[in-house]
Amino acid sequence: MPRVIIDAAELSRDFGHVQALRDASLRVHEREVVALVGDNGAGKSTFMNILGGALAPDHGSLQILGAPAQFTSVRDAQAVGVESVYQNLSLAPDLTVPESIFLGHEVLSTRWRWLNVLDRDAMAEQSVKALKLLGIELPRLDVPIADLSGGQRQAVAVARAVKWAKSAILMDEPTAALGVRQTDIVTRVIRAAANSGLAVLVISHDMPRMLQTADRIVVMRHGRTVADLHATEVSIPDIVAEMLGISDVRRSFNGH
Amino acid sequence: MATNSQTMTSSALQRPRTRDDSRRQRLSWFSRPAGWVGLVDLVLIAVFSIASTNHVFFSVANFTNMALDSSQTVLLAVGVAMLLSAGEIDISLGANIVLSSVLGAKATVAVAGAASTALTPTYPHLALGLAVGVLVAVATGTTFGLVNGLLVTRLRINSFISTLATLGIGAGIALVVTKGSNVAGIPIQMQSGFGVYKVFGFLPAPALVTAVIAAVIWFVLVKTRYGLRSLALGSSREAAVRAGLKTRGHLISLFCVAGAASGIAGVMDYSRFGTTNVGGHETAALAAIAGVVIGGGALFGGRVSIPGAVLGALLAVILETGLVILGLDPFYQQIAIGVVLLFAVYLRSRGDAVAGDDHRPRRRLRLGTVTNSPERDHPTKENQ
Repeated sequence: MPRVIIDAAELSRDFGHVQALRDASLRVHEREVVALVGDNGAGKSTFMNILGGALAPDHGSLQILGAPAQFTSVRDAQAVGVESVYQNLSLAPDLTVPESIFLGHEVLSTRWRWLNVLDRDAMAEQSVKALKLLGIELPRLDVPIADLSGGQRQAVAVARAVKWAKSAILMDEPTAALGVRQTDIVTRVIRAAANSGLAVLVISHDMPRMLQTADRIVVMRHGRTVADLHATEVSIPDIVAEMLGISDVRRSFNGH
Repeated sequence: MATNSQTMTSSALQRPRTRDDSRRQRLSWFSRPAGWVGLVDLVLIAVFSIASTNHVFFSVANFTNMALDSSQTVLLAVGVAMLLSAGEIDISLGANIVLSSVLGAKATVAVAGAASTALTPTYPHLALGLAVGVLVAVATGTTFGLVNGLLVTRLRINSFISTLATLGIGAGIALVVTKGSNVAGIPIQMQSGFGVYKVFGFLPAPALVTAVIAAVIWFVLVKTRYGLRSLALGSSREAAVRAGLKTRGHLISLFCVAGAASGIAGVMDYSRFGTTNVGGHETAALAAIAGVVIGGGALFGGRVSIPGAVLGALLAVILETGLVILGLDPFYQQIAIGVVLLFAVYLRSRGDAVAGDDHRPRRRLRLGTVTNSPERDHPTKENQ
């Protein structure tokens, strides 16, 4: 039985009068990709922000690898190995690929360590490895992120997250801004990240793609987690019905 | 619904070239912003050398003079370059020079003691006075920068606005302290020993100091973690925060660096002229920032070139000197300088677009160069 990495139980969060999250629960195991789907305003991003440490919950409990986690900042989450990838804010456009992957975790030259001199060769080498692990191909690494395509950028962001994540990666719409080919690249990388032993939670509207990539689909509606479906056993209409809260109607219609 | 259960095809990785590839090596020096500005500098020097009577522009004396004239501007340019690269600005540098030089000069005079009446006066505590003066000036400059940094990071006042405010406050304090008149009685040894001293007979000591500081800042920016993080802060503050960088302390330290550079420029001020300049340096910060931008720095952070900043700051000095030697009416000089600065920036931006490998050659983007696996098949998940 694979280990449970993220175990969120009955998490709630209000914004003023809006109950963004109500008793949302979720488990993600190692080597598993879970897609979080739901209509706009269903609470997906709030949920993910709580799991990633960007928001604190009002109620509920969160455990990472069986240990209770009370995050007050993104850094707290990173400390227990939970990394987040955002749609487009993750990387600085002017830094090169190795600089982006290592920002905040720079490798220093052993000889000139007291001056905090960077060991660029080591960072480049390890970047090659990190990218290779996920099957990411880039023609060059010594180019600024701004020169990469959207898919390449997102792939680098995922590679960065995988390199530093020790337990889980959370991704908020990693493919929303991408074309078909670019999305192919990123979805493949997402799968590879899970195969490397991490728990992966992805918010996405790209349902066909999620059905292919994810192991489970967790549906949210009005701040609640309303369904937990195996990707191999459901169809898109099933998921949409859960998202809209008409699953009963649909089931009876289909004669289930 | 059943999904494909093929295993994911992991494609063979074409080893990314992490080092300069052949295309990059083909690029000549002028493809870099610093190269373009250097080219403009050289062209101006050539034009002024040819056009000046007896080619006096092209003489050791003139170059020595220009090196001395440019010491302060170049120092400020490299001092503020890292701050600009981190996405912040300091337009109070001129007021900082004035205040630092005033306090440094006053401290020098006070500690050195009363002058003897000899032709070359002697002072009871000359060496101590000079040292204390330098320390006070640099400390004042650094503190000025610290205040700017605290205003920006703690009170969260935009750096343009907060340093505009401290520009006025600093200049005002200098006037209050001096009651509007310059500090007199600075020991002549400060001039002869540093301000107008020439190493090997031709290299002005202030220019040497500036060159050393520029080299140190270049090293920090290009080689160290501090430099990388500065660029990251300017390139995307959001990304830097998400990467776990501590932004406040870093920004404060950058403001202090710019302030310390102003303090040293203040020492150059009173040691070169033997007095302060309480009404001056109003446009010093803008000249320095212009130098950085002409040299390829982004005004809003993320990229900067120290050689470019040096050459960019030199540009204005070369122009001014050249036009004076040519005897152009001073009123026209200002217009000519403005026009040439615009031209230099235009050339530089074209340089970026045509051959620029020095960050963000957006127009030559090779979008979608990710080569997928030969099979190019649909991504499928690995069955468990």
